[in-house]
Amino acid sequence: MSTNPLSVSSTAARIKAFLLEHFPSARSQSLGGAESLLENGVLDSLGILDLVAYLEREFGITVADDDLLPEHFETLDRLTAFVEQKRTSTA
Amino acid sequence: MDYLIHHMLRASARRFPDKEALVHLDRRLTYREVWSRVEGLAEGLTRSGLKRGERVGIFLDTSIPQTLSIFAISRAGGVFVPINSLLFPEQVGHIARDCQMKGLITAASKLGTLGPILKDLPSLEFLIVVSDAEVPDSASLPVGDFEDLCGLPGLAASSDRAIDKDLGAILYTSGSTGKPKGVMLSHSNVCAGASIVSDYLEISERERILALLPFSFDAGLNQVMTAFQQGATIVLMTFVFAREIVRTLLSERITGLAGVPTLWSLLAQPSSSLAKQPLPDLRYITNTGGAMPQPVLGALRQALPTSRIFLMYGLTEAFRSTYLPPEELDRRPTSMGKAIPDTEILVINEDGKLCGPGEVGELVHRGPTVSLGYWGAPDLTARVLRPHPLRQPELGEGELVCYSGDYVTMDEEGFLYFVGRRDTMIKTSGFRVSPTEVEEVLFQSGLVKGAAVIGVPDDVLGQTVKAFVSARDGDAVAVAELLEFCARKMPRHMVPKAIEVLDELPKTTSGKVNYPALRKREGL
Repeated sequence: MSTNPLSVSSTAARIKAFLLEHFPSARSQSLGGAESLLENGVLDSLGILDLVAYLEREFGITVADDDLLPEHFETLDRLTAFVEQKRTSTA
Repeated sequence: MDYLIHHMLRASARRFPDKEALVHLDRRLTYREVWSRVEGLAEGLTRSGLKRGERVGIFLDTSIPQTLSIFAISRAGGVFVPINSLLFPEQVGHIARDCQMKGLITAASKLGTLGPILKDLPSLEFLIVVSDAEVPDSASLPVGDFEDLCGLPGLAASSDRAIDKDLGAILYTSGSTGKPKGVMLSHSNVCAGASIVSDYLEISERERILALLPFSFDAGLNQVMTAFQQGATIVLMTFVFAREIVRTLLSERITGLAGVPTLWSLLAQPSSSLAKQPLPDLRYITNTGGAMPQPVLGALRQALPTSRIFLMYGLTEAFRSTYLPPEELDRRPTSMGKAIPDTEILVINEDGKLCGPGEVGELVHRGPTVSLGYWGAPDLTARVLRPHPLRQPELGEGELVCYSGDYVTMDEEGFLYFVGRRDTMIKTSGFRVSPTEVEEVLFQSGLVKGAAVIGVPDDVLGQTVKAFVSARDGDAVAVAELLEFCARKMPRHMVPKAIEVLDELPKTTSGKVNYPALRKREGL
């Protein structure tokens, strides 16, 4: 199934808005799609829990333990791709 | 004879020279290798000008150099000051100024951000740097290379001049007001803590201990001390995802793990991989730094049926205080337990008398881990460390006991239950946070007229930081900007989780902020 480019951009924007609202340290960074959220200290172990709860609520997906991997949370681009893939697989 | 902090390591290096002592990622050092590096680094510290009793800061991420530094500073006769690597330059600067730090062991990658504060520290005479990046030219102090110094031939064997009453370490922690204070631990405090905890956790050389807690925290420091005292293996790690911990528990065949409630909440999440496979090697886990939420405790007991669970309590000022033996978990899961070995816990009421069963009083700790008080703060020390309230008059006032500031009750069988704090100190995710330190940063922003900070209960974190602010005349408060300012000035655990704007902060008749009224607003 192909992903809708419009939906991708709105997914990215929504996740970015959530990060900016709940992670004050994200605001002093440009938060570009390819910037590391883990290395720059935007996300830590507890922050990831908050983020997962948001993604499940907002996008109606279920994030399993096996999904909790650095490769899915490393950057905004990766996060967006992960959420899109989850949405298409549950749709 | 073994009476100084590094003697614990030396003794194990003699007994088990080829045994694995310290592991981080793919680096593994035997006791012989650890001791030889510690000796070299101690020689390097001495050549850098370190003298007995002088303070050396350790500002490094979890790593082998961080552990080696602790023992090398002790070996060189100095006092080690572990600094949490989450702290920002402002907080590091406060610690370095406060304890008049003579030297700092850090990483080249941290020098960029530390640069400006280092210039303002007249006591600082040398840096020792782990070269994980280019050393910036801006450093105006002599810089020693960590690895080079570790390779030096060791000090002469008989060169220990310190005695066990001497100051060995300073751990910085927050109280209810002001900036963090340095709790002074003697060599004998630290060694006694290692012996006592090894005793009731039955730690032996067979143990493989996973260290997740920072060494700037008493329980974290105590983990490495017990491991090295007993000749066990300590595995260091940092993590973002809880599953990384589970993976390491399995791959390193970890037998002992200490954590704070937040960590256990992470590991006990429904999605956690903790319960997905048996962990037969994991002999015990310990909780400290706050009460374990009951649902989390229940989930852990189910996920780890063969591990013994010890609930512990301690405050930095007395290092370690109580523990609940695992056999008691069913009968009193909400108890903080009983006094640790060689320690007496008294519950004292406002008249200075011993409380009866169920009567609320202050927890008072008596024993060999009572610290030497707060560095450079004799008045504050005198409030916390006082003569034994029930002493026999003939004994005089020589012995000091530690007034914890924690209200507790004791049941008929001597088990203790936490009731609350005497002061307004906030405890979040195992960290102590002083409301005034957060308020100061809010004021620094220039965005508010008034600011008051309280702790509000939280299932996962214990408490979270909540700020009430009022606007400067005619302005609205830019909450987003204020939060961003906080995030630039303070580590995450200090940044308010919520900011509420009030027209005016409630005041008492004497014009001070009425904190009880703010707590009442929150239903507390």
